[in-house]
Amino acid sequence: MKNTFSRRGLLTTLGAAAAGVLSFAAARKAKAAIKTVFVRTNAPKDYNPYDHKWLMCFDVDKCIGCGLCVDACKKENHVPEGPTYFRNWIERYIIKKPKPGSDAARGEVIVDSPNGGRDGFPPTTIPREEILKSFFVPKLCNLCEHSPCTQVCPVGATFDSPDGAVLVDPNYCIGCGFCIQACPYGCRFLNPETKTAEKCTLCYHRITRGLKPACVEICPTEARIFGDLKHPVENDPIQNFIQKNKVNSLKPHLGTDPRVLYANLDKEVR
Amino acid sequence: MPPQVFRLILLTVAIVGSYVIARQLLTPPSFRQYGFYRGEALAEHASHTPVFAGRKACLECHEDIQKKLFKDAHKTIGCETCHGPSSAHCADPDSAAKKPDKKNTTACLRCHEANPSRPVTQKQINVKNHYSSQKCAECHMPHQPNEVP
Ligand code: HEC
Ligand code: HEC
Ligand code: HEC
Ligand code: HEC
Repeated sequence: MKNTFSRRGLLTTLGAAAAGVLSFAAARKAKAAIKTVFVRTNAPKDYNPYDHKWLMCFDVDKCIGCGLCVDACKKENHVPEGPTYFRNWIERYIIKKPKPGSDAARGEVIVDSPNGGRDGFPPTTIPREEILKSFFVPKLCNLCEHSPCTQVCPVGATFDSPDGAVLVDPNYCIGCGFCIQACPYGCRFLNPETKTAEKCTLCYHRITRGLKPACVEICPTEARIFGDLKHPVENDPIQNFIQKNKVNSLKPHLGTDPRVLYANLDKEVR
Repeated sequence: MPPQVFRLILLTVAIVGSYVIARQLLTPPSFRQYGFYRGEALAEHASHTPVFAGRKACLECHEDIQKKLFKDAHKTIGCETCHGPSSAHCADPDSAAKKPDKKNTTACLRCHEANPSRPVTQKQINVKNHYSSQKCAECHMPHQPNEVP
């Protein structure tokens, strides 16, 4: 039998197949571009992530520990119920007086956060005479400039978006939990329903629509201040806050360079 | 050229080529749009629907109440802090907004009960000593807490 294959013929067929596959990929790309424009009508289209830089500030001296921010976050972002799933939470610090006769400046430090502070804080059982001072510290994702959580992700599912939010792509997350271990502030958890890592998104669906994050919206005492560094408004609350207060960040020695700033932070807060 | 070298080159081209093709097929289209991640994830996060309408939203139809609120001590509180998420009511005013029960004292006490952890600037009451037999709303209007109804 005569061999009908020639090397030239085979190479031509292979080349055509490769060209076909490549042009298929290009067509797929174009289709996807159309899909993002037309199907996702829900997403605000005029939002450019390069045109913003968000910053969050807290005034610890203003937080009254009502816990409504925790409740609002759960409702706004449909965070799973349960005492270990929080995107933001409030901690109560109680610093006791030093033992009589000891030469310490302060005594034992007690930190608690019943149900993340969602139901408010009942008055403590520690008698008032023993308390040197006590205060509430609201916590959430620290929006690190050099975020440890994005560095450890093996699949590129968590990332720093250009506007400063640190987000998780739930379609790509494999739920390995490395980022949960890596976060020095304990701001991530594994969603028990989707089995993917979850965290504060800065209410990305709100800030892209010109609203404030739910926790800032709900705060009754203006303890939380939120703004855009690239578009300072007249009498900008963020600029005023940084000018008037001596601000600090949590765990500065780790070099994460958080974009969540605290005023009136005590040295015991970690 | 010796034939084995030619075959080696052919094999290398085939391996590299199949890698390039596989990469093309498996990389999501919006990858690297902003960085080393799927750019569409941003739009997906942005496409959720807000539950809280925001402070400006109520102003449109309830300016009278907003004015009252701004006159008194509760001026820093947003409507939805007490009334709960109301974006459904904003889109369609016929759908009932939540009206907090004025007999409910725990709502007030969440912010006003005496607690040594609260900042001293927050006005606090000792529940037992502050007219405990009556409801808060009998002496304080929720929108203007210093006014008597
Ligand atoms: C589009 C206009 C509109 C907007 C925006 C709006 N409301 Fe209303 N609201 C109404 C109207 C109209 C009524 C009267 C409905 C009725 O009496 O049945 C009402 C009634 C209410 C009531 C009383 C319900 C009752 O049972 O008596 C509350 C509370 C309320 N609104 C809260 C809010 C809050 C909080 C917001 C902001 C998030 C808001 N509304 C935004 C139009 C609006
Ligand atoms: C401190 C909590 C609080 C805040 C803040 C608040 N409300 Fe109310 N509101 C109440 C309570 C409690 C009632 C129920 C009063 C009653 O039953 O008489 C009420 C009743 C209402 C009613 C029913 C009609 C009336 O006047 O009694 C409307 C409408 C309303 N609120 C709108 C608003 C709007 C708009 C805002 C924001 C500008 C707002 N509220 C802020 C607690 C609050
Ligand atoms: C979400 C938290 C919150 C809730 C709920 C709340 N308040 Fe207030 N209240 C505040 C804040 C904040 C202030 C202003 C700061 C201050 O003076 O303590 C204030 C101020 C007051 C004042 C004025 C104090 C003064 O001397 O000027 C009174 C009275 C008062 N509230 C009563 C009430 C009553 C009654 C309720 C229940 C209907 C209530 N509050 C619900 C947060 C709250
Ligand atoms: C019988 C009427 C009455 C009732 C009921 C009442 N109050 Fe008052 N409240 C007053 C008066 C009068 C003042 C101002 C004088 C004072 O400080 O006692 C006041 C003051 C306050 C203050 C300001 C305290 C300060 O240090 O300046 C707050 C906060 C307050 N009330 C909250 C509440 C809450 C919350 C309730 C419900 C648990 C409540 N009140 C029930 C009459 C009442």
